[in-house]
Amino acid sequence: MNDHARAPSVELAGITKRFGDVLANDGIDLAVERGEVHAVVGENGAGKSTLMSILYGLHRPDAGQVLRAGAPVRLRSPADAIAHGLGMVHQRLRLFPGLSVAENVVIGAEPVRRGVLDRTAAHEAVAELAGRYGLGVDPAARVGELPVGVRQRVEILKALYRRAEVLILDEPTAVLTPGEADGLFLTVREFAAEGVSVLLVTHKLEEVLAASDRVTVLRGGRVTGRFATAATSADELVRAMIGRSLGTARQERRQPVEAPPTELAPVDAAPVGVKAGAAPVGARAGEAGSYLLEVRDLWVRDRDGVAAVAGVSFGVRAGEIVGLAGVAGSGQRELVETVTGLRRAGSGTVLLGGRPVEAGKERRVAYVPGDRAGRATAPAMSLADNLLMGAQHGLRLRPAQVRRRAAALVERFSIRASSVRAPIAHLSGGNAQKAVLARELSRDTPVLVVEEPTQGVDVGAQEQIHALLAAARDAGRAVLVQSSELSELRALADRVLVMFEGRVVAELPVSQATDERLGAAMTGATLPQPTGGAEGPERLGVAGPQPVGDAEEAAG
Amino acid sequence: MNTFLAAVLTATAPVVLAALGGLLCSVSGVFNMALEGQLLWGAFTAVLFSHATGSAWLGVAGAVLATVLYAALLSVPAVTFRADPVVVAVGTNLLALGLTAFLMRQVFGSGGTFSSPDLSGLPTLAALGLDLPVLGPQSPLVPVAFLLVVWASWWLGRTRSGLRLRGIGQHAEAAESIGLRVPVYRHAAVLGAGALCGLGGAQLALGNVTLFSEGMSAGRGWVAVVAVMLAGARPWLGLGACLLFGAAEALGFRLQGFGLPQQAADAAPYLITLLALVVAAAMRRDKERTV
Amino acid sequence: MTGVENPTGTAEPAPAREAEARGGQGWAVVRRLVLSPAVLSVAGALALTTLVMVAVGVDPSLAYPALLRGALMDGNFEYTLAAYVPTLGMAVAFAIPLRAGEFNLGGDGQLSLGGIAAAALALHAGGSYVVPLLGAALAGALLAGLSAPLRTRLGIPAIVSTLLLSAPAVSLASYLARFPLAEPGTGLAQTPLLPEAARLPAFGAGSYVTIALPVVAVLTALWLYADARTVPGYEIRALGANREFARYGGVRVDRLAAVTLAAGGAFAGLVGGLIVLGPPYRFVDGALTAPGYTFTAIAAVLLAAGRPPAVPWAVALLTILQAGGQGMEREAGVPSQLTQIVQGLIIVIVAVGAVVRSRSAGRRG
Repeated sequence: MNDHARAPSVELAGITKRFGDVLANDGIDLAVERGEVHAVVGENGAGKSTLMSILYGLHRPDAGQVLRAGAPVRLRSPADAIAHGLGMVHQRLRLFPGLSVAENVVIGAEPVRRGVLDRTAAHEAVAELAGRYGLGVDPAARVGELPVGVRQRVEILKALYRRAEVLILDEPTAVLTPGEADGLFLTVREFAAEGVSVLLVTHKLEEVLAASDRVTVLRGGRVTGRFATAATSADELVRAMIGRSLGTARQERRQPVEAPPTELAPVDAAPVGVKAGAAPVGARAGEAGSYLLEVRDLWVRDRDGVAAVAGVSFGVRAGEIVGLAGVAGSGQRELVETVTGLRRAGSGTVLLGGRPVEAGKERRVAYVPGDRAGRATAPAMSLADNLLMGAQHGLRLRPAQVRRRAAALVERFSIRASSVRAPIAHLSGGNAQKAVLARELSRDTPVLVVEEPTQGVDVGAQEQIHALLAAARDAGRAVLVQSSELSELRALADRVLVMFEGRVVAELPVSQATDERLGAAMTGATLPQPTGGAEGPERLGVAGPQPVGDAEEAAG
Repeated sequence: MNTFLAAVLTATAPVVLAALGGLLCSVSGVFNMALEGQLLWGAFTAVLFSHATGSAWLGVAGAVLATVLYAALLSVPAVTFRADPVVVAVGTNLLALGLTAFLMRQVFGSGGTFSSPDLSGLPTLAALGLDLPVLGPQSPLVPVAFLLVVWASWWLGRTRSGLRLRGIGQHAEAAESIGLRVPVYRHAAVLGAGALCGLGGAQLALGNVTLFSEGMSAGRGWVAVVAVMLAGARPWLGLGACLLFGAAEALGFRLQGFGLPQQAADAAPYLITLLALVVAAAMRRDKERTV
Repeated sequence: MTGVENPTGTAEPAPAREAEARGGQGWAVVRRLVLSPAVLSVAGALALTTLVMVAVGVDPSLAYPALLRGALMDGNFEYTLAAYVPTLGMAVAFAIPLRAGEFNLGGDGQLSLGGIAAAALALHAGGSYVVPLLGAALAGALLAGLSAPLRTRLGIPAIVSTLLLSAPAVSLASYLARFPLAEPGTGLAQTPLLPEAARLPAFGAGSYVTIALPVVAVLTALWLYADARTVPGYEIRALGANREFARYGGVRVDRLAAVTLAAGGAFAGLVGGLIVLGPPYRFVDGALTAPGYTFTAIAAVLLAAGRPPAVPWAVALLTILQAGGQGMEREAGVPSQLTQIVQGLIIVIVAVGAVVRSRSAGRRG
């Protein structure tokens, strides 16, 4: 397979890594040539991140070795990796918010003149690199004030400045709009043309097919396929990723997927206050009812007095899931916090079942926050105590009763936990998320708001969570789902709202919510006017630059 | 006026040194509340070494060294083991109180206050031939304290290690991912703060006076902590906060001469420090309230 | 989850597992006890203390028995018990806000203010000890409560504001005891003897043990009950574990934090009142703060490592050390400050132990 005349630029040989009882990487071999864009794909939890962390010196393998240009290297820290010409752009950007772009790029390898930082040289070097690759950034700007897409350019510049010959991009498009992502891939092509080896870690197949030369597929910590991109297809990749083809996967969605019965309970046995016999995800069972959640001309200012939410109006009816899309920081978080009463509205109203929400009063919506450790749970408290939050009333608390209630929820939602007394931090991401969802669904409020339903959640739990959300919808709840995964919104929502700079700039029935349309709206580009009736805007007074169509007819 | 200014500088110098140490820690991302105990330990060891060697300067050197060692009691638990620095600091502050009082009895044979003709204090600048106004009656450590603020400001902004230290404090993970060894910098900051507290303690015991008394740091380390909170990463602001405290202390002494009860003079620095904290916090209070 | 079954369970030698299963859980309990953070920190601190003793030339085999005698025998037990009461009270004063995540380091100020308030009320309001005690609690609550708006509105940590408010409060109490409330003609920094009616009933004439003991014991028990078995107790724990989580769950976080600070202050103020209304029945300047109740209590609470029921035991241990220190000083010539050293070391070791433990427990994929 390899060109024997010249060793691969970087090669991972027989990498094995175990965390506790989880075998994250199991004898993985991977070779990347000079000038090659090599995609590493797999679902969440397939072992991609662990593998890349080993390559970047963040973890040490239990077995196996890393070779650079044919020679084994020991990577005990990122410093070693950098010294060997490796660069990594992390999924969660690792930048210093209070430092300038130039300082962020050069830190760790600073130009120095007579013992003093040479700021001019730093600025020039950064400007030169940015110009060469068309990565427009102002070297003097403070990173904390830049939009996230620009920050990623700073990360790339950091690697380039260190003359990385191997560039690892870990889920680089997670923070980008589709348009920005296209730009990124053009730049990546340029790097490859100059001989840089690029490792593109992703779980999005379109990106793999569009941008890579070769693909390695991981599943359950093992390599399950190696392909030349030109000679493969999405279906072939999916089969390698999940062990079956896409068509079958879709059909199987309703049923428990090859997991032990304890892991996956049938959906109809699951939720509290939800009708049995859930419909398939992504299709509404019955007609949507009246508006349970209404937002009218809502304005919210952030701490600097800037309008984070600027005149947003929409409604969510009983029995529908409304998706909320947008580039991170477009006002989704502030909108959700205002709807849930955690943040005070500047002006405008949020009506729940016709009654206005008052900030700081008891929360009247079920709410699954995106920040699991920061808001949705108290990691150090027991599972039982975490499941109690929101249901504590009166004065006396009977610990035995609290534990019984928790045990009931654990069983009903098939949460995998050793004990309800153990800290919730001991649960896997998927089980912790199910616990949060279980707690919120047990609130029995008509409106459910969910942020990033499946972030950091393994595949099995993802499907369960989607099914639970669909079941909640079918039971007549009004569900608002914010997600940065457009595919998730397409799978779940009946219609999708897109936010840009604090406004809802588009409302698309799910049938029209293509990547192009969503991407254009997310960047504020003008859209072809969506089809649909005019009921929505009139009734709700939707503000925004676009006339916003109603989902009703188009989706039906 | 000159004598008042001199009194302000005298009162301020130990606090400035401790606050500067705390600021370096805070910039590196470690909240250092152990300054009070370290100042006390510095003062005691300065007296111990000065008494043993008969040289004030060896006393200063001994204090610096001993306090760096003492600071390891914070840096190892807090940086290496990632223990809560606040809890550790509560412990080391208490330890310093007990240890100094205990050793004082063991070594000098009495509690309370120790002073002796054998104990050599720091010379004044005037005695060294620098008879400047205001600074003349001060020990050389006083101008050193203020010059160190200037140096720290420059170092943080203009040097490689200063930039790295700032980065580490802002985002330790990011610093790790570019190969910086975060614990090394943090240890250095905490131990450096120890050295500065050693200097501060030496100034307290051998500069301001020539004696050691139990608990003689008398809350100066806490004032330094507050100064750090006020300053953020800006040494100049920290200096201002310390001067405010020094002025309050000096003024309190003055006013005692005019019949102000001693207790009011004792309380004044704390109240003024708290007031400064309140005013600063009120000024930067968020406009937006998340209920 | 996707991994292979963990084989370590079966890898353990069979005899050990059998013994654990058959010989009851006795062995496991012993092992858990021995490896518990409290035992480890006490053991570590004692080892270090012994080292300090040896280093300064004290024979530990003389010092430790002297310490125990000084605390528990030769009629010293009464003094130890008398010291236990205020230390336990101060421990609860520190622990209540700590459960909500707030550090109350202003115990000395709250104690002094409570003490002087009680003395003033006893001297000038007349009547029984009830009003002075309520006044003492109120004074402490008000002082500590000041830190609440500073924390919630201005973001000044309670650990700093309570401490900064403490010194002026001590000064104020000292001033009042020296001037307006001073015993006339003596020039001593103390108030006159309090009227009989306001004195706390003691167990036996001339005893140092007063009804302060049952009062503090009952209040401590109430706190333990509230912490574990009431909704506010739960909400306070949640607030301390994750403020944002509590807010999200509908807890009025600012109000609750303020309540815990004020409650802690009330406890400390009450302790001040109980001390002053007990023997020697007057406010003596410095007498409340000199024994170091506040920091002994803090060390005890940290030693209890987040388990409230352990607080009374930790306080007992440290009070014995503290009281025994006097005996050690008399008999073995070891300065009693050695016990302060032990306390400081315990806190440091506990802080490290907590992290090491949670790290070894939390290491799961």
